[in-house]
Amino acid sequence: MEVLKQLLGRLHPLIVHLPIGFIILGLLLQWYDRKQKKFNKVSSLIYKWGGISAVFACITGYLQYVGEGYAFDTIKWHLWAGISTALFSFLMYSKVAGLKATEIFKKIPVIAFSIVFFILLSYTGHQGGNITHGEDYLIEPLPNNIKSALGFETFEKREIVLNEATWEEALIYEDLINPILNNTCVSCHNPKKTKGGLLLHTKEGILKGGDNEELLLAENSNISALYHRITLPMAEDEHMPPNGKTQPTKEEIKLIAAWIDAGHPFEGSIKEAGLKKQLFLSFFLTKHDYDYPDIEIAKVSKDSILAIKEIGIHVDAISKATNFLSVSAINKPSFKDSDFEGLLSLKNNISRLDLGGTQVTDALVEKLVQLPNLTVLKLDNTVITGNTIKALTSLTYLKSINLTGSHFETIHLEKLASFPKLQRVFLYSTNVNTKGVNSLKEGRIKIDYGNYELPPIPSDSIIY
Amino acid sequence: MKDIVKRLIQEKLALETQEKTRRHFIKSCAQGMGGLALSSIFMGCDPLTSSTKKGPITLSARDLNPLSTLAPPFAPKVKSVIYLHMAGAPSQLEMFDYKPELQKYDGQDCPQSLLEGKKFAFIKGTPKLMGPQAQFKQEGESGNWVSNFMPHFKKVVDDVAFLKAVHTDQFNHGPAQLFMHTGSARLGRPSIGSWATYGLGSENQNLPGFMVLTSGGNAPDAGKSVWGSGFLPSVYQGVQCRSKGDPVLYIKDADGITRDLKKSTIDAINKINKEEYAKYADPEILARINQYEMAYRMQIAVPEVMNINSEPEHIQQMYGVEPGKESFANNCLLARKLVEDGVRFVQLFDWGWDTHGNVRSGSIDMGLRNKCREIDRPITALIMDLKQRGLLDDTLIVWGGEFGRTPMQENRGNTKMAYKGRDHHGDAFTMWMAGGGIKNGTSHGKTDDIGFSGIEGRVSVHDVHATILHLLGFDHEKFTHEFQGRPFRLTDVEGEIIKEILA
Repeated sequence: MEVLKQLLGRLHPLIVHLPIGFIILGLLLQWYDRKQKKFNKVSSLIYKWGGISAVFACITGYLQYVGEGYAFDTIKWHLWAGISTALFSFLMYSKVAGLKATEIFKKIPVIAFSIVFFILLSYTGHQGGNITHGEDYLIEPLPNNIKSALGFETFEKREIVLNEATWEEALIYEDLINPILNNTCVSCHNPKKTKGGLLLHTKEGILKGGDNEELLLAENSNISALYHRITLPMAEDEHMPPNGKTQPTKEEIKLIAAWIDAGHPFEGSIKEAGLKKQLFLSFFLTKHDYDYPDIEIAKVSKDSILAIKEIGIHVDAISKATNFLSVSAINKPSFKDSDFEGLLSLKNNISRLDLGGTQVTDALVEKLVQLPNLTVLKLDNTVITGNTIKALTSLTYLKSINLTGSHFETIHLEKLASFPKLQRVFLYSTNVNTKGVNSLKEGRIKIDYGNYELPPIPSDSIIY
Repeated sequence: MKDIVKRLIQEKLALETQEKTRRHFIKSCAQGMGGLALSSIFMGCDPLTSSTKKGPITLSARDLNPLSTLAPPFAPKVKSVIYLHMAGAPSQLEMFDYKPELQKYDGQDCPQSLLEGKKFAFIKGTPKLMGPQAQFKQEGESGNWVSNFMPHFKKVVDDVAFLKAVHTDQFNHGPAQLFMHTGSARLGRPSIGSWATYGLGSENQNLPGFMVLTSGGNAPDAGKSVWGSGFLPSVYQGVQCRSKGDPVLYIKDADGITRDLKKSTIDAINKINKEEYAKYADPEILARINQYEMAYRMQIAVPEVMNINSEPEHIQQMYGVEPGKESFANNCLLARKLVEDGVRFVQLFDWGWDTHGNVRSGSIDMGLRNKCREIDRPITALIMDLKQRGLLDDTLIVWGGEFGRTPMQENRGNTKMAYKGRDHHGDAFTMWMAGGGIKNGTSHGKTDDIGFSGIEGRVSVHDVHATILHLLGFDHEKFTHEFQGRPFRLTDVEGEIIKEILA
């Protein structure tokens, strides 16, 4: 008998779909038939069957609740809603069939019944789903802002950043291992949702392990279940985190292994754990050192880019990760000052401008002020003398100017010292006095005159 | 009788038109829409699904011009790459990997433990160890070792980052070169340059995006596959330029054909092609039109950029060029000119580094020294020249061979060789990189006391590829091309970025 009870209980998830099917069918048929009411007999019959199957679903559901040891609090809403659904189904049968028992509801239109019934059915189903799949199953894929707007707790990813100067001082567990586990494991192994009885958000949870296996085996990653599970091939069922969830990176896995091998210390710094710098390289804060400012900028329209490409000027995003553009006249040596107006539709987005080898003159240099985010400027092999270069002082991001082969003059060199972010100036093959300054602003602006030489040496001509 | 039938049919039609109201029309429309929607849900053998292609064809810039530029996924550190390949495999032990301990064991038998399970191309039995045949000195502020075979190079030693423990799993030239350039020792994969131009395109519309220059008298052993496009469209393969005669074969107009006549010929062909395109809307036709136009523009641009005589005298002397000859120095100068003109990937192959000791030109103490002299000045000049023009920040230079050479003297057929030589060795060899994004003056990796194997910081060929792609703005694990039912990568399933040499 006990076996039968258990078995029937386990059939509950199957049987519940029977009343759901009947009731939805009944509702649809009623909607279809709402004008002529030709099928009232059929739909009432369907509701009757729906009610009978719902009673079975209730019974099996109760058996499952008893047999599987659910807490009453977990299932109570599903239980009451399920029983209500069964009763409501008979009510609908009675109403649609026009039985005397429901004459008291005569004034209420059947459509109101149907809507209430549909809501009740959905609620019951949703409650059931929450029990089997977990309460956050449905909302989990939603973006964080929608989740919090709906009043659900959101999972916060923690960034792992080390400073190159102080990396050895960072706490091995607190600053590294804990955030790694938090970002990749804790969403399923936390006090609310404890898959496999495993908690990974605290030291105690990690040391205790899950229901089945000891999790961390001291000082050896080869026999550590944690390491084993995250390094299994993706196709294996045992692989953790499961397919589709955020996976730890290669560097993070390596670090976890090294941490386990070092005796998985929960206290102390990296230095005390005796781990090598190589393990941490990927966590170091990377300096922004690209050809565009470290700010966000709005995208320019495709049409304005196309319009500029039409006239033979090369325009491309610096990378897909930024809206800053690289503009080059490499295919248009005839570019002259007046052509510059055409670029102004992109003025905020141009961070790299290559006008090398074109017809531009000093008059253009002044106009470049209109590109507030210009970072790299190439004016090599032009007739620019530097007369108007002072105008560019207001460009707050400009870090490199290439004036190789231009007509730049020595007297204008000092003006560059007032440029706020300038780092490199290339003046090879100009008339600038190369014996002059090699750097400006206490070495912050490096000037490269080039003219490197490789004088002949005796071995040049020795043939063995 | 016929009349009656006709009348009946007419009557039926008349009735139908009366019956069919607007309501019917809308209803059947709705059903039709439902059917259409279903057909896209149940994709498969339904011929309706192919109807989606019948809409107006939207052509990307790539359809029109396969070399049009694309932004890389991540901010790039370099825009161009110059890859210097010393075909035949240079001896790291006479150039950059200084092993004073090896000198102590010079002439002694190689320990058996090192030879067990190893495959060599020619070494048989028990070979003898051979000490370094060059004198080494620590150079520059970085204090990295450079031998007296490379006397000029010491001037730029602080501008490069060494990889001292690169390893490969191939020990014959052909497969090893293929591996080094395509990520696989088997034929059929695209080369690094093909991947780069496929992913990024090329800025200069008058020049190919991937150009190859060879020197040393022979093409690389692996043949043209080392700059082939594999399964990528063939437009991304390397264009080999000759340093003697016409840089690209058949680039000159045929005798009696003037440039104007050529132009009108191409215009006529393209006119027909455009008509054809109007009829069939096949993007391949547009690509063809574009290729004709590009070839026409190349006729002017290529001879111009390939002419080293236009360079000033002092630059020619700095590189040590030999105009009119095929030389590595000429190619280095050309590489700079090409990169300056926006070519994405320049591949240089210099043949003649296979120093087994069987002939004088293939000896460690003489032939190798000559080869080193041939590259020493040009490479140093190339780095300096790119630097003074502000181009080194945007360019990556990679130097290396397909593998390294053994710490043992070669004993081909278990006999004493005529000259001092070393056999092929893939366990540990040296490569270096210079340019944008590289931490100048670093040296990553260490070999054991005799330079047989890497003991620290070992990097594989895939790691080198991952690093090159990283500097160009790609994630080597995500940069794939779908072929034969699966996505392919340059680094296959391996490769890790060598962070230690990145700035």
